[in-house]
Amino acid sequence: METSDATAIDRARGGDSDAFRQLVERHSQPVFRVAYRMTGNQHDADDVVQETFLRAYRTLDRFEERANFSTWLHRIAVNCSLDLLRARVRHDRHYGGDPEEAEMTGAAKSEAALQDRLLLSAELQVHVNKAMERLTGNERTAFVLRHFEGMPVEEIGRTLGIQVNAAKHTIFRAVRKLRESLEPFVRSKPCNT
Amino acid sequence: MQHLNEEQLVLHRYHDDGVDAVAAGQHLDACADCRAQFDTLCHVLALVDDLPVPQRGDDYGTEVWNHLRWRLGRRDRARVWQAFAAAAMIALVFFAGGLWWAKRHTPAPAGGTIATNPPRSPITSPQNTARDHDRILLVVVGDHLDSSERMLLELTNADASRGLDVTAERRRATELVSANRLYRRTAEQHGDARIATLLADLEPVLLELSHADDRLSPGEVASLQKRIDSKELLFKVRVVSAQAGGRQVPPPQPKGTNSL
Repeated sequence: METSDATAIDRARGGDSDAFRQLVERHSQPVFRVAYRMTGNQHDADDVVQETFLRAYRTLDRFEERANFSTWLHRIAVNCSLDLLRARVRHDRHYGGDPEEAEMTGAAKSEAALQDRLLLSAELQVHVNKAMERLTGNERTAFVLRHFEGMPVEEIGRTLGIQVNAAKHTIFRAVRKLRESLEPFVRSKPCNT
Repeated sequence: MQHLNEEQLVLHRYHDDGVDAVAAGQHLDACADCRAQFDTLCHVLALVDDLPVPQRGDDYGTEVWNHLRWRLGRRDRARVWQAFAAAAMIALVFFAGGLWWAKRHTPAPAGGTIATNPPRSPITSPQNTARDHDRILLVVVGDHLDSSERMLLELTNADASRGLDVTAERRRATELVSANRLYRRTAEQHGDARIATLLADLEPVLLELSHADDRLSPGEVASLQKRIDSKELLFKVRVVSAQAGGRQVPPPQPKGTNSL
């Protein structure tokens, strides 16, 4: 943990809101990235960032100083994202939301947000987004944690409240779905990994 | 070595194949089919890697803080209110205790004599004082019940099959347990059986939650929901809470129709 984080946490625990402000300003961007990859939606990601820092503030006393604050924060963000995804599923189930329509809306939003980011062609970005949206909440979480966050499978299992083997198979399913959707778009050249 | 299956390829890509990593690597060097499969997998995952995340401005952290500060402030005010409520409760306990002591030590009028003292004012009669105390107790407990109701709603609305993150609720429950005990004892001393019973029913749920892990398993969520349902706890809390706030008492709701 960075010394400056440790100092800020100490001061924040003592009721110094300015110290907590520093932590929020320092970690908001990375937390947003995790939240966006989990939810696939900018507005949801913004909400998750807010909720993450709110939970962090309320549970700051339970943060262990030897741990990495950033990792701890990311874990809270993952849980907040999961809660949001589950609440959305419950809401759709309760109010008869059309998953197809939700998918289209999400894809359209993501597409609009990504137009000025030309690492991929706009069309391909839409396909990747749609492929990610095909994943269930658990599949998306497990994949994001393993692929982007580099989290060990055991910890992913703990985060999702499932056995290690189940976590592993959740990742397999996620990768298989991505492969099915995106294989037509890959170029055939050797992989260096 | 046999061809690598899809799962072994994924494990190898994420370096999760442990002792099999060397053998898998050697096989990939020797087998064109598996190599082609592995390359495709890597390229698919590279496409996901390249998917950009929308940029947030340099002042994003400040924006987050500006929204958040207001919510943290509300929590501070809630704490002030809780402290105020606790102080009011303690004052009430002392007042009720004093009244009880005075009542025990007031000599009864002699039998067969006509009372010569003027009648007590209706404002200060014991019945009215007791009614006032009931009202004060109800108002003070009302705020506590509002907080408890919100938490019970979150629990009953949760999808038990997926477990639940209760990091924030756990902390709230810890705060509510001590207040709940204080109010319950006061209600018992004051002879308000209805509030005392309600708070006694509420206490185990708050305690269980305050001692829970950050993440409840599906079984734990289901157990809590069952406990809440079996005592119609949410409905009872709503009724007393509504009475405390001078609101209309809500009609009983069938299971699964709670709304936030």
